Amino acid sequence: MFKLSRKLIFVTIIAVIIATIAIDFFAMSGKLLSPLGYFYAFFSVFMLLYVVYPLYKNRRLTSYYWERTRKNRLAMLGLFFIVFLVILAIAGPFFTQDPNHVNFEEKNLPPVGFTTSQSVYDSQTGSLRNAEISGTWKHPLGMDDKGRDILAMLVSGARVSLQVGLVATFIALIIGVIIGVSSAYFGGMVDNILMRFTDIMMTFPFFLLLVFIVFIFGADLTLIILIIGMTGWTGAARIVRSEALSLRTREFVLASRALGASDARIIFRHLIPNVMGTLIVIATLSIPGVILAEAALSFIGLGDPTVASWGRILNAGQDNLETTWWVAVEPGIMLFLTVLSFNFLGDGLRDAFDPMSEL
Amino acid sequence: MPGKKASMGEYIARRLFYSLIIAWGILTITFILLRLAPGSPADNYLANIAASGRARDIAQVQAAIDARYGLDKPLYLQYADYISNLLHGNLGWSLSTSLPVSELLSKHWIYSFELIFLSTVFAVLIGVSIGIYSAVKQRTKADYAVTVFSFMGISIPNFWLGIMLILIFSVKLGLFKTYYDTSLPLFSLENLKAMTLPVITLGSGMLAGYSRYVRSAALDNLRKDFVRTARAKGLPERTVILKHVFRNAMLPVITIIMLDMSGVVFGGAYLTEIIFGIPGLGRISFNAIFADDYAVVVAVTLIGAVVTLIFNLLADIAYTYLDPRVRYV
Repeated sequence: MFKLSRKLIFVTIIAVIIATIAIDFFAMSGKLLSPLGYFYAFFSVFMLLYVVYPLYKNRRLTSYYWERTRKNRLAMLGLFFIVFLVILAIAGPFFTQDPNHVNFEEKNLPPVGFTTSQSVYDSQTGSLRNAEISGTWKHPLGMDDKGRDILAMLVSGARVSLQVGLVATFIALIIGVIIGVSSAYFGGMVDNILMRFTDIMMTFPFFLLLVFIVFIFGADLTLIILIIGMTGWTGAARIVRSEALSLRTREFVLASRALGASDARIIFRHLIPNVMGTLIVIATLSIPGVILAEAALSFIGLGDPTVASWGRILNAGQDNLETTWWVAVEPGIMLFLTVLSFNFLGDGLRDAFDPMSEL
Repeated sequence: MPGKKASMGEYIARRLFYSLIIAWGILTITFILLRLAPGSPADNYLANIAASGRARDIAQVQAAIDARYGLDKPLYLQYADYISNLLHGNLGWSLSTSLPVSELLSKHWIYSFELIFLSTVFAVLIGVSIGIYSAVKQRTKADYAVTVFSFMGISIPNFWLGIMLILIFSVKLGLFKTYYDTSLPLFSLENLKAMTLPVITLGSGMLAGYSRYVRSAALDNLRKDFVRTARAKGLPERTVILKHVFRNAMLPVITIIMLDMSGVVFGGAYLTEIIFGIPGLGRISFNAIFADDYAVVVAVTLIGAVVTLIFNLLADIAYTYLDPRVRYV
């Protein structure tokens, strides 16, 4: 009876979320949660019920995959950094100061352990003089040219990057699964049309298309996430289609069809659960691309100007390389480590789920 | 069961036909996106005119612009105009530079081409050699070093790498402080010097990817019977690697290099041009974005897609041509 109730829980929660959106939109004019907040709520519910719960229920299989992944030291290193990043993104903002707080008294302060020579305004003589300035533990990563704490900006940037990475990938995967599975399952004309459409979307260079769409529709974080999700599904659709094509002719699918199972049942009970492993790997490996895409957009100045994204800090730091080099170095290191970690983890997961594949 | 084999000509004809459909789809999707956009491309221009007070009747100016660009026509006629203009090579007029877009593109594409060409040569030369090397030395320290190195190369954001190279070489060491000079010939010493850091920036991500592909392809081939036969014949190891393993490993890699041209390379070239001020297509598209110059941004996106389409087609054909075992389906 639990299967029914899980579906019921899911539908109920989604209904509650939609009702909240409706109330929020009509009665409170969108003050309750940002659109991103709703995306996040939907994403968490879905993950909990359809990823975390099945993993918990099939404990034996989960521990088998876990053991296999654990052997890969680089993947574990990646996982540790990702966990650290998630904690940083959730809890960090409560401990750091406001990333938008401007403090001209302490601008261009170098990170701890570095000393720079700068011209400083001396309030006693009323003139500029040269002074050696060293980093302090109050601002361990230094300050930018407007006197904003870089640590605080990096922490808030971690939140942005993870949101973009997780939610956009999630949207892309859902579209990819819908297109891939229907293409494989219905075949014929449906397959032909959907795959040609996928070909067309794949032919646009991803970043150029992104720049183009963000340029004409405007830069808002929610919109950027939606756009990345709605353009980045092509790879997933192809892989899911080929997996589903081979599953479609397997005995257990034929057997359940012979027993009179409906299309929906075959798709939801047999095809989708069986491509789930592949989906987790695709998700882990496409998150870095999504994070980089958002960072690159912010870097060229097309990002949401209201959030402290890593790309935006990097953009600001690029102009003052001669004096405040750390502003450009630090967000890049975070970006690099994040992308590296997801790549390491994704590679390890792929080996664990599919030991035959070399690449 | 080997079905009826299609001839190579038929295969290419079918591929061409598919490519035409995809080209049509690209134009259509771009058109739909442009029409879905909030506001009109002329809005900014109108706002400027309104602010300057040059025109008394803004509605009149708007109507004139709509008539000039056919925005007052029904949608299907606009669509027909759009397609026919593009087919005639008429990409519109760049408002910010007051030049026809096609002229702007024909002046600037060569710099993007130079950057991508040099980076590809750099990436292929180094990527293929270290890929083969690490396959031959599988499970040694050198192999692990190559693997970690290629992971890092894939993960490092190339725009950040570019900035770090500027920071280290130009700012701290005072090297390569040259800017690309369009008045000098493309491959002049000065311009090659200005291209060095951009090529490393764009090429490093590419070469990391290639070395992984080559390594795995070479490992596949090292296990094949013909390699064992070649060794049993007493051929020197050098010949076995270069003649038997290398040539066969290059087959899939050539295709991958061509397919890679779209996503990784164009996006990377776009950012690299912006960072290093190379006056290629990415740079002019970037300038156009901040000048609200629609026609240029659209044109660069379309060019990117069409070039990708051509590369995909070439990759398909090259693959069947180079490997006679591939059946045309």
